[in-house]
Amino acid sequence: MIKSLPTVVATLLAHYRRHPGQLAMLLLGLWVASALWSGIQAINATARDSYARADAMFDTQLDQLERRDGAPITRAEYHALRQAGLPVSPMLEGEIVTQDGTRLTLIGIDPLTLANDNPLAQADTSRSLTDFLTPPWQTRAAPDVLTTTTTLANGKSLPPLALAPALPPDTLVMDIAAAAQLLESGEEITRLVAARGTLNEAPTGLTLTRATRIATPGQLTESFHLNLTALGLLAWVVGLFIVQAALGLALEQRLGMLRTLRVLGVSGRSLVLALSLELLLLGLIGAAAGIASGVWLARLLLPDVAATLGSLYDAGVGRELNLPWHYWVGGLAVSLGGLLLAGGGVLWRAARLNMLELGQMQAWRSGYRRQLMLMSTGGALAVGVAVALYVWLRFQPPGDGLVAGFALVAALLLASALWLPPLLALALKVLTHLARRRPLVHWALADMQLQLPKISLAMMALLIALATNLGVGSMVGGFRLTFLEWLDQRLVAPLYLNAPAEQYADIDAWLADRPDVSERLLTRRSEALLESIITPDVSRALGTPIELYGITPGESLIPHWPLLANQQDREAAWAAFDHGAAFVNEQLATAENLSPGDQLNLRAPGVYETLTIAATYPDYGNPSGQILMASPQLAARFDAPPSSMGVVLHPNADVDALREALNERFGLGSDALSDQREIKRVATDIFERTFTITRALNVLTLVVAALALLASLLAQARSRRQQLAPLWAIGVPRAQLAQLSLVQLGGAALVTGLLALPLGIAITWGLVAIINVAAFGWRLPLYLFPWEMAVTLATAIAVALLSAALPALRFWRASPRTLLAEEANQ
Amino acid sequence: MLELHQVHKTYTTPQGALKVLDDVSLRLAPGQSLALMGESGSGKSTLLHLAAGLDLPDQGSINLSGQNVATLAEPARAKLRREQLGLVFQQFHLVPSLRVIDNLRLQARLASRDDTEWTAYLIARLGLEGLEKRYPEQLSGGQQQRLAIGRALAPRPSLLLADEPTGNLDETTAGEVLELLLSLVHETQCALLVVTHSPKVAAPLDRCLRLRHGKLINTAI
Amino acid sequence: MSLSRLQNFRLLLAFTATLMLYGCSSEESTSSANTGFAGLGQEADGFQHAEQNQLLTFPTDHAAHPDYRIEWWYLTANLEDASGEPLGLQWTLFRQALMSPSERPAPTPWAADQLWMAHMAISQGEQHEVAERFGRSHSQADLSVPQDSQAGVISSPFHAWLDDWQLKASEEAASGAFSPLTLTAYSGEGKSRFGYSLTLTAQGPLVLHGKKGFSQKAANGQGSMYYSQPFWQIDGNVTLNGETQAVGGRGWLDREWSSQLLDARQSGWDWLSLHFDDGHKLMAFQLRGGGDDTDQEQGADYRSGTWITPQGKPTPLANTDIIMTPLATSAVAGREIPTRWRLEVPSAGIDINIEAPYANRWMTTSVPYWEGEVQISDRASGEPLGEGYLEMTGY
Repeated sequence: MIKSLPTVVATLLAHYRRHPGQLAMLLLGLWVASALWSGIQAINATARDSYARADAMFDTQLDQLERRDGAPITRAEYHALRQAGLPVSPMLEGEIVTQDGTRLTLIGIDPLTLANDNPLAQADTSRSLTDFLTPPWQTRAAPDVLTTTTTLANGKSLPPLALAPALPPDTLVMDIAAAAQLLESGEEITRLVAARGTLNEAPTGLTLTRATRIATPGQLTESFHLNLTALGLLAWVVGLFIVQAALGLALEQRLGMLRTLRVLGVSGRSLVLALSLELLLLGLIGAAAGIASGVWLARLLLPDVAATLGSLYDAGVGRELNLPWHYWVGGLAVSLGGLLLAGGGVLWRAARLNMLELGQMQAWRSGYRRQLMLMSTGGALAVGVAVALYVWLRFQPPGDGLVAGFALVAALLLASALWLPPLLALALKVLTHLARRRPLVHWALADMQLQLPKISLAMMALLIALATNLGVGSMVGGFRLTFLEWLDQRLVAPLYLNAPAEQYADIDAWLADRPDVSERLLTRRSEALLESIITPDVSRALGTPIELYGITPGESLIPHWPLLANQQDREAAWAAFDHGAAFVNEQLATAENLSPGDQLNLRAPGVYETLTIAATYPDYGNPSGQILMASPQLAARFDAPPSSMGVVLHPNADVDALREALNERFGLGSDALSDQREIKRVATDIFERTFTITRALNVLTLVVAALALLASLLAQARSRRQQLAPLWAIGVPRAQLAQLSLVQLGGAALVTGLLALPLGIAITWGLVAIINVAAFGWRLPLYLFPWEMAVTLATAIAVALLSAALPALRFWRASPRTLLAEEANQ
Repeated sequence: MLELHQVHKTYTTPQGALKVLDDVSLRLAPGQSLALMGESGSGKSTLLHLAAGLDLPDQGSINLSGQNVATLAEPARAKLRREQLGLVFQQFHLVPSLRVIDNLRLQARLASRDDTEWTAYLIARLGLEGLEKRYPEQLSGGQQQRLAIGRALAPRPSLLLADEPTGNLDETTAGEVLELLLSLVHETQCALLVVTHSPKVAAPLDRCLRLRHGKLINTAI
Repeated sequence: MSLSRLQNFRLLLAFTATLMLYGCSSEESTSSANTGFAGLGQEADGFQHAEQNQLLTFPTDHAAHPDYRIEWWYLTANLEDASGEPLGLQWTLFRQALMSPSERPAPTPWAADQLWMAHMAISQGEQHEVAERFGRSHSQADLSVPQDSQAGVISSPFHAWLDDWQLKASEEAASGAFSPLTLTAYSGEGKSRFGYSLTLTAQGPLVLHGKKGFSQKAANGQGSMYYSQPFWQIDGNVTLNGETQAVGGRGWLDREWSSQLLDARQSGWDWLSLHFDDGHKLMAFQLRGGGDDTDQEQGADYRSGTWITPQGKPTPLANTDIIMTPLATSAVAGREIPTRWRLEVPSAGIDINIEAPYANRWMTTSVPYWEGEVQISDRASGEPLGEGYLEMTGY
């Protein structure tokens, strides 16, 4: 048995030498499936590695001390604190720009006082402390940033580089003396840090941020990566459709060969073993190619992903892939697992091959009828699961059930995909019956029934891709509309200024005297501990840190500021707000299940306040909860420093003149003043980037589905010609036959596209009502875009026609002799 | 060489049980040739399938080279087939994706008995010289069947089973192919069982048996 | 206190390894083959060298000597708490120059040419608490305002500090006086807090070791500047396990600085500071070379010491005056450490047993060593004669 195995495998593979198209299709499917999947996993793995490195950094390992007034701490203050026995360490942080324009975070540390189990201090594997501490000093950086030049834009040079793989991407660490020179920070430092929990309380004038209070990027971005993974999984499934189609075809055409081999003395077990070996071999080739292209794809997409994560969550992700060993093993396993899934049926059928079976066509047809039954039942089951999930989600607090949301969408997709072939079969049966008086149409419909088993998988893939495309497209489009509108509402002032905290009072007074300024919108920021929540039913202890944001409710703000829910009406809500009530953002309301009328107990150093919620408001783009108060209230009750000021001008006032005057009077830097358009541009930019990847993956999925359809049509082109030849022989023109095949497929695609419309809308709903709420904490209105739907239908038909065009063209251009030969062979 | 003893075989069809073979016994000595004749549906192909271990009898024993095929497990039957038997079918059953030379050597390779010299001799005897690199569908019907005979004889089987070997060929070609088959069988001292409805095919063989409704009806030479 | 202290400068070089590196075990054995223990035998080009005939001047020499490579202020004390239970403590401030004077960086903010390390330990019964601190300074920093430097030592009024660990002249002390001093150092929080706040009053004069303060450390003449204040009367409070109690007893402070201390072949040392109940003091050390005078590979053991009368009159002891014999070892931190010794100084009529009542005085600092209280008794009669401190390195 083992001795004859190579001969059997070689004989099996010989098939692909005669039919390289099938091999190409099989490998294409495998390649696409594993390329998209492993590409996304590569991105995820790299991001996770970056987060892990960042998590291990000071942000999450060390408590931080900063001055309450926002001014920098000096070296003398640091020494004084050390000499008072506080285990604090100085840290300098700033941004530097290298000559090639790369922006890098520079962190200056004092390794002598830093808690010595910290990766910042440990981020070295070879050099001595002396090298770190003494001129020319050392720049520690992870390998991902070592490619950039060591000369800075301002002409200064970085100390010699030393490798420190444990550091986060785009971060340079060096001795604080060297950092102080590069950043020209003099006696000032950015913050003090201390090992977790070593400080009981903040020294006078400083605020203490506990390490545990700082949300790690890993948690924040988890939902983003889940989204990516779901898309990758989708692409994988669609790719496997191609594989399944190719394998099924290859088996179909080799049934005779398999039977001959059995007759010639190859046992059933050997045959299955040989087929498995063939699968493994193809799988390894496909997976290797797939993983290689996946890595390439990831490299292509990574900058966008990194930019998105950076702007959305402030999470640094390396621009260079960093792949652990289990990534490669995992990628291979997923590819081979998928192949086994797709090829399992082939092996099963090969194992049960009847050596004496003839006239298999009839048997196959009844087999397909049974398959349709199975599909219908499976589809019904999937619908059941979807309904069950929906009911379950109804009883969950909003914001829970991200995974259930994905599962719901997946169940809907599966149900529709499974129902598609029975639906098509039913439609064909009815139409065939109706068209019995028109022989050619009748034949075309009957023929389509025969084709259906072979293209139904490809059609299912197309349906999934179309629906997902429509669903995600509508979600992004709706989000875009909502977001832009929201931006307009929030940004009412044409000019915004950021100044040192102590300058605001002067600026405010000066602006008050300007005739061209109609309103000054001062914002304040602070932090407090949300200790507990009191609702009419219960009171809950929480203890989570929360951001307090103060706005100036006035003529320009109140009419535009969007509110989601309030107790009576907008007016009452704003009146309450003015008198000290709070608004909470949708994220907080969703996460803690809050509604207007509930009360919040807040604690800050020396402050204990109870606030009543007057309304909730949308706060897109913010990953965390926020409490909104009137600026004067926030100042009075929480001693919150000013953080920015919006300047509303009278109509026809000159913004640029005011800008100049402000600059001249207060010597504000160029960064201090930004106008509304600029802010909107940046925000829109961030938004666009967030969905670049989503869009890219969507398009790729659609391309894969089109390939699946093309592949299955090409694969059966030969047998199609055999079926068309007799019609040609009895006098139907070739052109008409070619057109007929186009119409046949276009019709099937139209049905598929029509089914994709409601499915796409269902997906949009799942995304905006469940997944987004769970992932980001905000709910979007459900927008429908007729144009998108039309595009979906058109895409479906275009994909089908494009796929059908090549075989049809070939048939049309085939010489009569070939066709005759086909007929003779039949 | 081959001995069938009281073999019974019944198929279940939608129309009810169909007795295909009813108490059939026969013997074939080494080197001997036997024609099995009968109408369509008389059970002659079934007998051949049983003899080849492709199917199992309901009752009775089938001894092939001293082994009872009816009691062997599938892998053992497969081994027996590739090492002891040569099979020739009406529809040739060549592997379309293999070239002529690879088709010819396929079973010999499976049986680990690939013999270059013998293969070259067979190619010459079968008149397939110069066609080694072609694919089966590029051959004429006669050439295809000659190739199938070559494939069956390449592992030097002790018994050749042929099912209407000339059924797909025109009369002239059929004569040529039959002559070649018999001469090669003679050369290799291989026993031969041919299932046919053609008296012309049966005539040159040592013995001829006739099946009707699943029963052997005469045992003439 | 000299040579074991030198080992601690290995700490300074090697704490690089523990602080900054993932592992650092193999380095020690290889480097000591050619640069002496802890690199203390390496050439010190560009630094000022300790030599004979360098006269010590006070109070100036209480301050730091940044032109020398290494330096320390090293206090050990044998105390008793209110209930008469013995209690030992150690406080040490080490300084190391990161580079020779000519290579110093400009004194920009944070730039450092001096590295500081401080150790503290409190021992009572089986308990042994250890803490360690590090710091940096620039030798050109103006030390008149302590907040301008994380660590430093000035002579008048005397003040040695690293963060809040401080040894300084008491408020009643005259300007430039080296007594009385106060010592404060604490570590940990709550139940695990330990530390001390002590007053040190000198009951005798400063003692210069060797030849007017030049203490030879190897046959080739290398050595250090070395003086001690062995006559401290100590009172104050010690906090252990979060509880504070009054303590009292005697202490010994060593001051030593040098740029190249060791013979490159010496591998470790045993050092003793002893308070005899009759008022005498004895300092003795041996550098373990493992061979005799003719062994060029290993080098000879090198012994030295000072016999001090109750009035503070020192008698230098040469190599041949001292015989040190380990009598028994204890297993500590996976090593065999000699915790019972015989010490003979025939010229002073000394033949005593020295025993550490508790073996677990292992300093779990960045580079570990053994440092703990000992009791001395007459070898012939077994009569208790006094107490002191023993330090052992290189085991």
